[in-house]
Amino acid sequence: MAYTSREAFFAFRRSPLLTALSIATIAFALYTLSVFGLVWTNIDRVLADVEERVEVIAYLVDGTDPTETSALMREVAAYPEVDSIAYLSKEDALARARAELSDYSALYEDLESNPLPASIEIALKAGYRDAADVADVAARIARFAFVEDIKYGEDWVQKLDFLQNLSLFLGLVVGGVFAVIAFVAIGATINIVLISREDEIAIMKMVGATRSFIARPLVIEGFIKGVLGAVIALVLLTFTYSLLEQRVVSLSFYSPLQVAGGILLGGALGAVASIMTLRRHLATW
Amino acid sequence: MILFKNVHKEYPRTGYALQDVSFHLRKGEFTFVTGPSGAGKTTLVKLVTMEERPTAGMVRISGYASDKIKTREIPALRRRLGIVFQDFRLLKNRTARENVAFALEVTGASAEQINPKVLRTLAAVGLSDKADHLPSELSGGEQQRVAIARALVNDPFILLADEPTGNLDPKVALDILRVFKDINLRGMAVLLVTHDRTLLGEHPRARIIELDQGRIVRDTANGGAAG
Repeated sequence: MAYTSREAFFAFRRSPLLTALSIATIAFALYTLSVFGLVWTNIDRVLADVEERVEVIAYLVDGTDPTETSALMREVAAYPEVDSIAYLSKEDALARARAELSDYSALYEDLESNPLPASIEIALKAGYRDAADVADVAARIARFAFVEDIKYGEDWVQKLDFLQNLSLFLGLVVGGVFAVIAFVAIGATINIVLISREDEIAIMKMVGATRSFIARPLVIEGFIKGVLGAVIALVLLTFTYSLLEQRVVSLSFYSPLQVAGGILLGGALGAVASIMTLRRHLATW
Repeated sequence: MILFKNVHKEYPRTGYALQDVSFHLRKGEFTFVTGPSGAGKTTLVKLVTMEERPTAGMVRISGYASDKIKTREIPALRRRLGIVFQDFRLLKNRTARENVAFALEVTGASAEQINPKVLRTLAAVGLSDKADHLPSELSGGEQQRVAIARALVNDPFILLADEPTGNLDPKVALDILRVFKDINLRGMAVLLVTHDRTLLGEHPRARIIELDQGRIVRDTANGGAAG
């Protein structure tokens, strides 16, 4: 064990340039990946916020019997898609209109009769807020005779749907491509390190070193490089983040757990890339 | 010990490197393997270290058979062989002492076991005073002595040397041959591969196996006939 750890750290002193190069590669790869991840999670968060606002509004015919209204509400509340349901009376609707449209408050002053209909506002559970589910719920409610009109922002629910699918697709594809590039870049620099030590590996094989004896310090070295690269990426990312935050837009950052996970991921990436590259160098004996 | 039985070795591109080679090296024997370049000497060394396996026939080294040995058993075999090369193959950034110690570290030996053994072995090849020198600070002959010490430090049953004097001038080459002879006198078998015929004359009692175009054309243990 003493040998292994000594060897793993020795590499940093022995070939500082090559070591710096591979750490920088890992740092840059992880930085790119994490910036993308940050942008993606923020877009996703915005979309989720918007999605929270998806609701179905059923406008009722004036003079609808309150018992019928409550029967409708009980039935709709029992739909598996429905999260919550609220009744808005004509008076409440007018009060809300006055409050929300204060610029036009003159329009709502001195009205002889209240032109606004009573309505039921139906919020849907997460997972049922896509265009198809929303339309389906709306269609079921529309069947009630005393429902005069139903609105659920069909156009923008579909747009939101599209944006969310696009975001997921880009997240998986672009994120996946970045991850693969990161992995290949890390593998390539570790391969250079191994090629520079080919003579040494040949000597180890000659004097009877086992596979794990040769591999262990190199895998640990890969892990340490991965962790250092991830820490540098984190520093760069924090800097980028605060710059964006100050100058452009308010964003959410990774949680401490995600940061810790990212650093471990860097280490794992370095170790796994080392193992995979080593297999080629240790194929013949 | 070392047994070659009707060994053929064929490479896909270059054809036969060895053909029907058979010999048996006994304990404590000093053997020269000689012949012109391209005769198959290096292939023979690679078959002993099991870096290569025969195309046909069988090689047996200290209980390990070429047709049965598994890759993970090869390190154990290598520790039973002391291997010396023409180009020394020392680790450039380590001192003589560290280079020799390296062969013991590989076996998982502790520092307390390693240090005295390394110093003893360096003394055996006459390099006690250069223990802390880097290879670049040593002459070719001294570097080869370090390599020999590294080969010896694991107490192998045979010392295998592939053109160990090839990079050295004639006087130094004779010094190195003397080191091998001394080691052999203490009971260790030596297999020394060389194309340099003058070395053969310096050790008349040694066995000589001569290769040409992949075949044994002379083996003094068989009264000079082809094996």
